[in-house]
Formats: sequence, structure tokens, C-alpha cells
Amino acid sequence: MNLTGKTTTDRDRFAQAGDARGSARISRETISTVSVAVLCVVLLMSARLINPALGSWSQVETVLVLGFFLVILSFGQGVVILTGGLDLSLPATITMGGILATSWIGAGNPAEWYLLPAVLILCGLVGLASAIGIIWLRVPPFIMTMAMSIIVASALLGYTKGTPRGSAPDAAVALMKGEMLGVPAPIWALIGFALAGWLFQSRSVYGRYLYAIGTNMDAARNAGVPVTAMRILPYVLSAMCAGLVGISLVGYSSGATLRMGDDYLLPSIAAVVIGGSSILGGRGSFVGTVGGALLLTILGTIISALGMDFGLRTIIEGSIILIALLLLREELFQKLRAMGR
Amino acid sequence: MTIAQTDTDRSPGQFQRLMLRLAKGAWLIVLVYVALYAVYAIQQPKALTSYSIAALVNNTAPLALAAAGQAIIVLSRGFDLSVAGVISICNVTLAVYPLEGPGGAAVSVLICLGIGIVVGAVNGYLVAFLRLQSIAATLATMIICQGIALVILKAPGGYVAEWITYEMTDRLFKLIPVSGLVLGAIILIWMVMKRSSFGISLYAIGADETSAALSGINTVRVRFMAHVVAGCAYGLAGFMLSAQTATGNPTSGTPFLLLSFAAVALGGTSLSGGRGGVFASIVGAATLTLLQKVLFSSGVSSFYTGVFQGLVLILAVVFSAQLARLGEGK
Repeated sequence: MNLTGKTTTDRDRFAQAGDARGSARISRETISTVSVAVLCVVLLMSARLINPALGSWSQVETVLVLGFFLVILSFGQGVVILTGGLDLSLPATITMGGILATSWIGAGNPAEWYLLPAVLILCGLVGLASAIGIIWLRVPPFIMTMAMSIIVASALLGYTKGTPRGSAPDAAVALMKGEMLGVPAPIWALIGFALAGWLFQSRSVYGRYLYAIGTNMDAARNAGVPVTAMRILPYVLSAMCAGLVGISLVGYSSGATLRMGDDYLLPSIAAVVIGGSSILGGRGSFVGTVGGALLLTILGTIISALGMDFGLRTIIEGSIILIALLLLREELFQKLRAMGR
Repeated sequence: MTIAQTDTDRSPGQFQRLMLRLAKGAWLIVLVYVALYAVYAIQQPKALTSYSIAALVNNTAPLALAAAGQAIIVLSRGFDLSVAGVISICNVTLAVYPLEGPGGAAVSVLICLGIGIVVGAVNGYLVAFLRLQSIAATLATMIICQGIALVILKAPGGYVAEWITYEMTDRLFKLIPVSGLVLGAIILIWMVMKRSSFGISLYAIGADETSAALSGINTVRVRFMAHVVAGCAYGLAGFMLSAQTATGNPTSGTPFLLLSFAAVALGGTSLSGGRGGVFASIVGAATLTLLQKVLFSSGVSSFYTGVFQGLVLILAVVFSAQLARLGEGK
């Protein structure tokens, strides 16, 4: 039973791989990335028509600072999705980073230079635990990361006894509130992170390994990819990214709450999907994901600047995700390609 | 391949047959539930009175119905995140437009079913006809539904019709909980559905969609129907939840998103489709609810309930997958 299922999925994957030849795949990813980027610019420009205060440089600054969180998160979520998984433990791990940063380190702690990395490593351990469950206990990623999320959230609730205390470490505040050459520090950090993420995912051998695993794990193993290590890596990276977002969030708002991560799970998945990645893995680029994250952030700031109802805002966000999904449909691209021929 | 398959099927060992039985049916989760209930009864002697049984069934009903719908989608190898949205919309609708009396309740049920059918049909169209990935498509519909719920009711408030809140949480002849009857009816409908061509097609698609299509199953129609049926179950879940909370909350459905998957997985339904069932998922939901009560009465700080829930979830999935593997002789 299991065996027959396996061969057909392999066959499907071969068919897909046969369909998407190198040139076609590149054009598909370029099309989706460019269309997301164009949509971002158009939205910013049209915002200016609605309200002159929007679309200004300070508005762009706000978008980039707010986008910082989502870009980091969706990098982690993106590499997990790339290998055919899904990380639902992000909200709990964000909260973990935030709560450890405030109640364990706190403001004015001279030891923060080694405690902050320690927080990131602890968050990474959450990802490691998920990876162990997924790889060796063969629990589906969906269930495993969900269970980890429930466990971590409950442990945090017990650790803080329901009320998180303490304030943000100085380094986190400096990262979020600082300035360099007249540009807010988070924007520099965003540019640095986006560059590093792009180099990792699209230009390094590790990135290639992840694509190989997401496309066909057996083939990747036969080709000599260190499959086990490269399946662990995404979950650890994703958890560390979430921890970093947690630390940055407390630096931005100076306090942690037990639900601070809740609003980031669905946008992190949405950013990856809008950026043109397949939720089944093996396809997508980090540049597209950055575009998706920024698009969602722009949308959020415009809608809240318009003073629109939160409900309407949610409906519009959902509709945009749906439209992006419909536009990025495989068949549509095949049709376009056929018309071009 | 097929020959090898029939060979192992023809002469499985006694042990293997037992394991397969345990893994395929709902036996395992029912055993777990009974054992857990025994622990609960020892801790709380009052647990066996019809009053506290009714209270437990009332607590279980919304999650059980949500899990029943989710199970239908998971069986066909899909994911449905819209469960949270449908429950929220039904809840706020009942709280904003309360309809009194038995007639009002009947109309309310129909409204909830209608909401479920509409959302399910949209999901079905996106997933079956347009071939979007179910997890991505239902993510979008869930967000839209949550927005609609917020438009109907901005902040928690409103009152659900008294007739519904009293009668649906009551006991018939002071013995049988009404919510239990609703669950029983759903289980009966599932028993019939499972043996219908729809049910058989559902399992076939979940096990292997290509083979199912090649053997003449209209996979597009079955997938579409699955989403509509699941939507009905979510609608009922929203109705039963409102009967219990008696008030409206635009985010009342959110906890059901992950818990419905937890219940389905706990019931031994494989997330990669084709194995498991609706009944097992309902018992899975009941086990999750009961586990909370047992942990509470064992004196575990309510802060740490989640740690146990998470661990039980992982253990259950590992264990049922292991049983299935033993049963298939691998």
C-alpha cells in the first residue's frame, strides 16, 4: 500500500521535474518575484493618491522597520517549507525569545553579550526537538511542530506564572531604536539579513541541498546530499529566527507578553506562499518571500492608515492571499508559456 | 506490487491481524478513553453521575464536531484551516441575531449549516476545480471568514437565544445529554456515509488519488463534496459552541484550528490520508477534553496542561503509526 503510494508520488515528481525545465522554472520564479515587487511599488504609489501622508519616505521607513520582523520569520518558515515541512511552533518560539530576553536577561545586564546568543541557542533547541520528532519518530511536521508549540507555550505560562516581568535588554533596544547614517538600525539589519538569507538559500551549496530534498528526498540521498543533517537545519534555523524576532519585538515595544507571537504564524506562511513558493516544498526563492513579507506589511500599514475596520482589513488581506494563489497557479503559467510559443 | 500486496493480505499472522485491527478501527482510542475515564472516576467519584457526564459531553461536542469535519478532509489527504472561520461566523451570527423558541432554533441550525455549506463550497471549488493546495486555499478562506466574523461582531458580546442555550445543553429524561444525541446522530450518519460510494471514494482518494481516478472515481466531485460535508460539520460545531458559551466572540473559532487536527491525529487518522475515520476522531476530541479534566483533578497546575497535551499528542501519533506498520507487516 505504502509502496504503491510512494511510486506514484515519485512519478508525479518526475513529471513535474520534466515539465519545469531549467529555463521555465527560472522564468516562473522571476515572474512571480517581479509581479510581487511591482505590486509593492504600485501599492505605495497609489497610497499617496489616497492620502498624501502615505507613500512618503517616512512611510517607507515604517514599512521597512515593521517588515523586519516578518522578513526574518518568513525566512525560517520558508526554508522549512522548502524541504516539504511546515513550522507551526513559531508563535511559541517568538514568545520564548521575548520572555527569556526580558525576564532572564532584562535591561542593564552586563552579561547580555553572551546571554542573548544563549537565548537564540535555547530557541534553536526547540527546533531541534521538532526535527528529532519529525525525522526519527516520523511524526508529520504539522503535528510535531503544533505539539511543540503547545508544549513551549504552556512551559512559558508556567515559567512566568502568567505574568511576564522585566524589560528589554539594552542590545535589543539599540537594534530596534538605533540609527546609522540617518537610517533606522532595523533597516540596515533588514538589508543585511535579506542579503545573507539570499546568499544562503540561492547561492550556497546548503541552499541547493534544501531544494534537492524538497524536490525528491530519495534522489537527493542517492546524489550524496547529507539528508538527515539538512532536514534538521531548517527547523533549527526557523526556531532561531523566531527567537531573534522575539528579542527584537521586545526591543521595539520594550515588554513581552504571553501572546506576542500569535499574530505572526499565518502571515509567515502567507508571505512564503505569496512570494511564489510551493507549500509542498522544492520551489520558491527567498527574494520572492521578502517581497511577499513586505507586500503584507505595506498592505497592513495602508489599511490601518485608512482607519478601516479591523474586520474589513482582515477580509482584504485574505482576499489578496487568495488572488496571489490564483495568479500563481501552475496551469496559468503553463497557459502563458503556451501562448508565448 | 499488487501481487505482493494480496500475498501479505492472504496470510497475515494472528499478531499482525490484531495490530492491523487496532490501527485501522477506533479500538485503540476507545480503549485509551475508557482507561482515562476510569482514572477520572477514581479521582472524582461524582464523575459517573448523569449530571457530570452531561457536562463532559457538552464540553466535548463542539470540538468533536469540528474534528469530525476535519477528519473527512484529512481522509482525502487534505487540510482544512477554514474550520476556525466557520465556527466564528456561526457563533457571532447566533449572538447577533438570536431567534427564540424551537422554531428559531431550527432556523438557527439551518443558518449554521448554510454558512458551512457556502464556505465548504468555496473551499471545494478552489481545491477540487482550481486545484489549489488545500492548506494554502483554506488559509485564505479562513482569514476571510475571520474578517467576516469581525464585521458582524466587533468585540465579544451579544446573547445566544435562551431556548438554544438551555435545551441544547440539557438532558433528555434527566439522563441522556442532548449534545450526546447530536453526536450520536453524526456518528450514525458517518456509519452510513462510510459504506456509501462517497465514503469508499474518499478513502480511495486519500490512499492514492491517481489510482482512484484511474478506477473511475470522479475525484473532483468527491473532493468538492468532502469540503461541503465538512463545512456542515463545522457549522454544527459553531451551533453547539454557541449553545454552550451563550455569547458571541469573533475569535471563538481560533482554538479549534489546531485542536481539531490534534483530535484527528489522536484518533489515529493518518495525516497523509487513507487511514482512520470520523468516529475515531470524535473519540480523539473527547479524549483531549477529558485529558484536561483529569490533569486538573490530578492537581497539575493548569499552566502546564499544554505540556501534557503536547506529549500525549506526539505519543499517540507515534504509537498508532507504529501499530499500523506492525499490522502491515513491515
